[in-house]
Amino acid sequence: MKDKKIIAIYGKGGIGKSSTASNIAAACADEGYKVMIIGCDPKSDSSINLLGGQRIPTILGLLRESVDIQEEDIVFEGYNGVKCVEVGGPEPGIGCAGRGIIVAIQKLKSLSKAHLEMDLIIYDVPGDIVCGGFVAPIKKGFVNEAYVLTSGEYMPLYAANNICRGLKKINTPLSGVICNSRDVSREREIVEKFAEELGSELIAFIPKEQIVQDCEREGFSVIEKEPESDIADVYRELARKIMSQKKASNPDPMDDEQLRSLTR
Amino acid sequence: MKTDKISIIHPRPSSIVAALYTLRDLDVDVAILHGPAGCSFKHARLLEEDGVHVLTTALDENGFVFGGHDELVSLIKKAADMFNPDSMAVVGTCASMIIGEELHDAVEEAGLNIPVIEVEVHAGYRDNTKGVLMALESAADAGLISDTEYQRQSIILKKATEIEKKHGAASKSYLAPSRGDVKYSVAKRVMDLLKEDKKGIIIMNAKKETGYMFADVILAVNEIAEEMKVRSNIVNMANIDQTLGLPRVRTHARNIMSDFKEFGIEIHEIIGGMDEYAIAGEYVRKAIQEKYSDYDFAIIAGVPHAIPADVISGMEIISVTNGPRQVLPLKEMGHEHVVVEIDLHPRTLGVSSIVESEFGATLREIKKELHSQKNEEFAA
Ligand SMILES: Nc1ncnc2c1ncn2[C@@H]1O[C@H](COP(=O)(O)OP(=O)(O)O)[C@@H](O)[C@H]1O
Ligand code: SF4
Ligand SMILES: [Mg+2]
Repeated sequence: MKDKKIIAIYGKGGIGKSSTASNIAAACADEGYKVMIIGCDPKSDSSINLLGGQRIPTILGLLRESVDIQEEDIVFEGYNGVKCVEVGGPEPGIGCAGRGIIVAIQKLKSLSKAHLEMDLIIYDVPGDIVCGGFVAPIKKGFVNEAYVLTSGEYMPLYAANNICRGLKKINTPLSGVICNSRDVSREREIVEKFAEELGSELIAFIPKEQIVQDCEREGFSVIEKEPESDIADVYRELARKIMSQKKASNPDPMDDEQLRSLTR
Repeated sequence: MKTDKISIIHPRPSSIVAALYTLRDLDVDVAILHGPAGCSFKHARLLEEDGVHVLTTALDENGFVFGGHDELVSLIKKAADMFNPDSMAVVGTCASMIIGEELHDAVEEAGLNIPVIEVEVHAGYRDNTKGVLMALESAADAGLISDTEYQRQSIILKKATEIEKKHGAASKSYLAPSRGDVKYSVAKRVMDLLKEDKKGIIIMNAKKETGYMFADVILAVNEIAEEMKVRSNIVNMANIDQTLGLPRVRTHARNIMSDFKEFGIEIHEIIGGMDEYAIAGEYVRKAIQEKYSDYDFAIIAGVPHAIPADVISGMEIISVTNGPRQVLPLKEMGHEHVVVEIDLHPRTLGVSSIVESEFGATLREIKKELHSQKNEEFAA
């Protein structure tokens, strides 16, 4: 079996995981890699920008209707051949989304031959590791690298640090910290320091750009819609880093006081 | 395409329990249920009679919220110390599976140097045979059974599931439990058939250890036929091939066969192994087509609904089941008489020789009456 990258991108809700993930996916596809993106957020919006703004049926949505599911019902081809899968979930406030992720990933693995052939599989997971179900991608999806996405703001850093606690608990190495900028003061310096404290490194600094929003409004990734833009280069650089990343170590989360003083 | 789905509203055995019995058949010494203390209690107790130590991590409200990883690890270690087992199993429950507990992590962390089977099962599967399959799959992974045995069992289980849906407890949305026909009347009918010189096939098609009691039906009918000097009118068939199935299942077959021998009973046709109750119908078909197509009646004990109706059509059927919800489906299959051995299973656990059945006891009572009648006639 060839070396396969199975990564998960964690970070506070709204910080930019899905848009970063789809840009990484698109950039890797352009490089000729076989890529799959598996959206694990009940919002099921991970792959939307790879599919021209369209939504695809979700695994749990189909399971709920007790239909006989085939691979082609849940794996869709998006930009440049990127395979897109959405786990879906129950309606907010009902049932158990965590269990949903476990069931969906088991289903996907039992059905999909495609994921065997991939060079890169990206699990786009919901904001926080709130319960056992949210580590299912790692445990049952054989994720071998985790990345944390944060800005230099206190709350996203706080969430990122908590996630590292979770990763440590489940013995999953951290392969890098990505900064998705929110234009706050000393941002690069803060996130760099944060990564260092964790025993990891800052592997990309993505600027905050209107262009990301504009592409999203039309239903596209930056890579697809604005390949010539500067930020597209940043995504491509990040994609290359991820594909060649060999280092990873169990994160050493900071305590609250340390974290507080980091941002002061 | 929508899958065919009727919602079944009567309670049925769960996959967790099915997994536990399978682990018992695999001769696992200790099975740890990772879940609430009361989960599968009744069967856990019965399995203890059968020599398996069943333990529970007793997850409570806190366990549901915070997980029970540490408790599981320490219980695995504790169980190893207490019972010195050769093999162990860790079994999931709804509670632990919903919250995403990882059995494997706990087993790794406990680091025992014996095989530990992990079964990530819960009670929410539609077919409880899923629990059996999951246990067997993990056993194959742990190297406790061969791949061939796993394949063989998968085929049988598939067939068993089919039969349950067609003619068993999963055949209808609701099945009321029933005590079946009065044993005395049915026993009388058996005697009448024998008296009329009718030819009968006595079939035991039993699921594993339940054979210890269903075999008694063969014994009793043979005794009464002997008394009436019509033994040559009946043939016996039983699924007690001693070369098939897991070691424990073969032992049951050996025990029952040696009891038959001791009582001078010949089994004319072996219709498969004791785990082959779901496919024994085909052996029966072949035997009947070749030799017994002119027989008048059949007595089928164990899993009577696994014998296809066309195989025994034209015969008067007396079936003996241990499922109170099996009565109606059997009647619908055309079985004229259905008797139920209530609570049979618990009495077949932890035994190694044939146990008297109620129907057998009733037949023997009638035999006594017959005997004294004869004596009276003789005296008169
Ligand atoms: N570098 C960026 N510049 C500008 N807007 C961004 C950038 N990254 C993400 N966004 C925007 O932030 C919003 C939230 O991003 P999203 O990827 O949905 O977050 P998450 O998946 O972490 O919840 C989106 O509207 C997205 O377009
Ligand atoms: S609901 Fe599931 S976990 Fe709870 S007792 Fe029943 S079978 Fe066990
Ligand atoms: Mg998202």
